[in-house]
Amino acid sequence: MTRTFATAVTAILLSLAAICMHAQSVQEKLATDVNCAAGLHYLRPTTANDDTPAPDGKQPFYINHYGCPAAYYMEKAEAYDAPFLTLTKADSAGALTPLGRDVLHRVGLIRSDAHNRSGELTSKGVSQARELMTRLVERFPAVFTAKGYYSGRSVVENHCIQTMEEQMVQLSHLRQPLLSNITSSYQERGFMNPTDKVLDGERNNMTATVLYAEFFKRNTDDTQLMSALFSDTAYVSACVDASMLSLQLFTLAGSVQMTGNATLPPLFDIFTKDEIYRHWRKQNAWNYVTYGSYKPNGGNQPYMQRATLRNMMHMGDSVLKRYNPMIHIRICPQSVIMGLACLMELDSCGLETADLATLEERGWADYSIAPLGGSIEMIHYRRNRQDTDVLVKVLLNGHEAQLPIATDCAPYYHWNDVKRYYLRRLYKYENTRFTKKIK
Amino acid sequence: MKQTRLWLLAAALLTLHLTTFTAQAQKVVDIIKKHPAYASCNYNIYPDSVNYIMTPPPKDKRPFYISHYGRHGSRYISNRKGYDIPYLMMLHADSLDELTPIGERVLEEMKLIMHDSEDRWGELTDNGKKQHRQIARRMAENYPEVLGGNATLSARSTIVPRCMMSMGAAMMEMMQVNPQLDITMDAPKRTMWYMNHQDDNLRKGYMTPEAKKAYNKYIKKRSGNTRLMEKLFLNPDIVEEIVDETQFSYYLMKMGLFQLHTHRYRDTYLIDIFTTKELYKLWQMDNALWYIQHGACKLNGGRQPYSQRHLLRQLIADADSCLRLERPGAQMRFGHETVLLPLTCLLGINGYDLETDNLEQLEAKGWWCSSVFPMGSNLQFIFYRRDPADKDVLVKVLLNEEEATLPLKTDCAPYYHWSDFRRFYLKKLAKYEKERSKSLSE
Repeated sequence: MTRTFATAVTAILLSLAAICMHAQSVQEKLATDVNCAAGLHYLRPTTANDDTPAPDGKQPFYINHYGCPAAYYMEKAEAYDAPFLTLTKADSAGALTPLGRDVLHRVGLIRSDAHNRSGELTSKGVSQARELMTRLVERFPAVFTAKGYYSGRSVVENHCIQTMEEQMVQLSHLRQPLLSNITSSYQERGFMNPTDKVLDGERNNMTATVLYAEFFKRNTDDTQLMSALFSDTAYVSACVDASMLSLQLFTLAGSVQMTGNATLPPLFDIFTKDEIYRHWRKQNAWNYVTYGSYKPNGGNQPYMQRATLRNMMHMGDSVLKRYNPMIHIRICPQSVIMGLACLMELDSCGLETADLATLEERGWADYSIAPLGGSIEMIHYRRNRQDTDVLVKVLLNGHEAQLPIATDCAPYYHWNDVKRYYLRRLYKYENTRFTKKIK
Repeated sequence: MKQTRLWLLAAALLTLHLTTFTAQAQKVVDIIKKHPAYASCNYNIYPDSVNYIMTPPPKDKRPFYISHYGRHGSRYISNRKGYDIPYLMMLHADSLDELTPIGERVLEEMKLIMHDSEDRWGELTDNGKKQHRQIARRMAENYPEVLGGNATLSARSTIVPRCMMSMGAAMMEMMQVNPQLDITMDAPKRTMWYMNHQDDNLRKGYMTPEAKKAYNKYIKKRSGNTRLMEKLFLNPDIVEEIVDETQFSYYLMKMGLFQLHTHRYRDTYLIDIFTTKELYKLWQMDNALWYIQHGACKLNGGRQPYSQRHLLRQLIADADSCLRLERPGAQMRFGHETVLLPLTCLLGINGYDLETDNLEQLEAKGWWCSSVFPMGSNLQFIFYRRDPADKDVLVKVLLNEEEATLPLKTDCAPYYHWSDFRRFYLKKLAKYEKERSKSLSE
């Protein structure tokens, strides 16, 4: 009995220690690169990654790349306008502190830089897209040959089209001759940007809404920020939605890195480290509820991307008989990459939990899943066309990812195992849906 | 005696005029016979190959800067409405068992086309990408002085995906010709005010009562297609309640000719059901409408081309700024036909500034919109000088890659002195803007 109790206590202590360690590591990460706090607005670094050599002289022959758009101005002008208008109104009422007025000035600069550019690729996005393509070509030279076929495809969304075109122009700069094509068609949205009304309906059910609201509340304290910005507390109580303004300023702070405009002032400095961390936690939890296997809403949201994964499996089979290398560069909204990473259970992305407080300690951090310029690349390897044991490895934002599949040559996996595992996963879910429909 | 001589002179002039008219008219028919797409005006197709003879520049002058405005390449029709008009009429007639076997075949073809176009409305086709790749390649190969080495190439598109895709296809090809190019691309909302300016004030006044009267008179003798109705419908007199003969024939023609842009239905059955003469009449009606909408048509005051005043000013300002550089490279812009046509008219390229109130004259005077704005159409302004110190900069204009004329005096046609060019057009714009601000203040 005593031993059982001691074991339990030890387990709890260990667990708590792990929580502290992981929580600390996210906080440490934020301390070294505060831009990570921007989550989906974080810019994936374009630094080179290491590769584990492929076994038995296998060579890459097909890359199926699903990528996020590179850095772009936020799509809704409201993201820039709303905090500016709140602060302007307060300023006209004489309710701002000197810091508040300075923040208003800074927000004004950020807003005018973005004016009439919402949703457009930024100069940073252009260089990011081109550098990422350069890294890919440098990393897999065997795929980029004169005999290969290179296809750039994008959803019909301007910053996605621009990302795809920048990457393909860069590829054209790096390789001649180049047999290539670019496409952007609504006909491909079925798997490039799938929708599902059933899953939409499940996402924010009552339990998920209440639990998230509680988590939000536990992680919200904007008193310090409001007192730093406003000189009149009565004005704040009467006229300012503190939580909303704080979130808007936090979002704006994260957007500065996306522009590539070095003259823009930073905004993260108006938050304490703790505020930044808590804001990130709320946003990370929101992304998990929306795209991850969050148990209270059924845990099925990643299946939104089942057509995307199915297409990945289909493509893997259809390239088997090809003589020459091929690449598909597909640019989709970030939500697709986020959902796909969860569906494929890459690294820790497949996490299934009801506890939003333990996400980061269990490795579920949005900035490491689908940042701007992020990607999931499935690289197919074989010795030659006769080689029936095709291997694949998956890169999540450039690093070799772990799949939930047994293998004797990690991070390489046998294509047949990968295909079997994922198709079964899809069938299982689709059967559930079918059964529900019949009932 | 004197009277007889005058009468003979008048008769001779009339004969001459009629001969010219017939010759010109014959020419359009000939083009349509050879290239049916020409009949569809703005859905005309850019030629697969272009090989025009170029006049050498005056001694020692070399190209150093290119300014370009091009229309996107071949695309799917922008929305389903254009196809729905004839399609729904046919479905209705079919539901009444009023289709002939040919009519049934036509309906089947229409169904295939609808199916193929679904979710592709307005999308650039493979043919469209190919057109831009070819145009870009020719430009890069023909002007190595401008686009050689690490030259700067700035490409800008409107925010419309098919234009962005045209730009992407062109830039990828440019890199294939010269991988050292320093290419920048963008598609900003901020420059839409000149890249795709549609002047609502001008547009709403284009169909004046005079214009409407003249247009109705012009199309009256050209509309209708009884032969087609009899070919497709068992009882044309019964279906006339649900099938508007003129509208049906016009949109069916467009539907058929549109397939030439997608490559999938080349030599489609739908084109073959029209005779050349019918296509020609449809072209005449459409051409007249484009003239009223975008030409210097006297029936509505002749001001429609000024919708592109911002673009022209920007082209001049960009050139002025680039002229100061040692190696300015090229600026390419990707937009729309409703910009390119009025810009061509505003510039008076090849006589497209024609001012008339007589729609019957359009054809005889060479105002053929199909030659201006096929899918992939473009204007290229090629600038020449001896060296950066040379103040006498020359400019040559290419309309769809063919040397064009401007309504300016020059001693070295088709090359024009840039100083004359900018003086002439800035004066023209200033005159209009003065007149416009006066009318707005009234």
